[in-house]
Amino acid sequence: MSELYGAMTISAHGMKAQSTRIRVISENIANANTGAPTPGEDPYSRKFTVFKNVMDRDFGDRLVEVDRIRDDTTKPFQLKFMPDHPGADENGYVKMPNVNSLIETMDMQEAQRSYEANLGMIEQSRNMILQTISILR
Amino acid sequence: MTTQNIGLLKAMTAKMGYLDQRQRVIAQNVANSDTPGYIPRDLTKVDFGRVMAESYNSKILRQDTTDNLHMPSHREVADPKNRDQKTVYETAPAGNAVIMEEQMLKSTETTTDYNLMTTLYQKNISMMRTALGTGR
Repeated sequence: MSELYGAMTISAHGMKAQSTRIRVISENIANANTGAPTPGEDPYSRKFTVFKNVMDRDFGDRLVEVDRIRDDTTKPFQLKFMPDHPGADENGYVKMPNVNSLIETMDMQEAQRSYEANLGMIEQSRNMILQTISILR
Repeated sequence: MTTQNIGLLKAMTAKMGYLDQRQRVIAQNVANSDTPGYIPRDLTKVDFGRVMAESYNSKILRQDTTDNLHMPSHREVADPKNRDQKTVYETAPAGNAVIMEEQMLKSTETTTDYNLMTTLYQKNISMMRTALGTGR
């Protein structure tokens, strides 16, 4: 039955990784309108999480972990005409973050589904453990 | 007499151990459904009919392997191996080949099999209780 507890640990780590991903996504959405504070500076840059599968010596198996949270450099910053903004350049344009709320929402859905899948695995492992215990009855 | 000496129960325990292990492998796959470059794994199949026959037929003598360097007896039932899946349905651009539906199906299969095993186990025990005269 220790294998089943192991399965639950693995799933719990998966859930932890997915919740980090959700945290990063909410950070992106919250900062969707954080423009450049001064003309020369860059605004908030979209972030995304990368997962990796690492060996955990104490546990004795591979677990999912967040590798790193990276800045998305593939998408350019957008310019918005806001002459009153302190970050506006001489033409009145402010650099806005490269966050697309549509993409973020989709990513959030995906993270949620993965989280649910892991939760489902925990539920099933738990049922298997309960069934084993019920042999004693 | 412990329950371990009864052939059927022994085979069922072996099968439950296998299902335990498989559930863990599937949990691993599901947890890594977003890890770049991850290839799903699965356990190789074990012939439980043979495990059953082996444990039932006590007339068959089998060489014991007490060291890893010993050659296994030809009657040995192979342990399941944890391997990368050879055929994958599709691979995401980041190199991840985990198909969630496939994994869910496998885990349901495991749970159902496990359920079957525990039920059979219980039935057997209650049969023995009946034989002993304390059954309900």
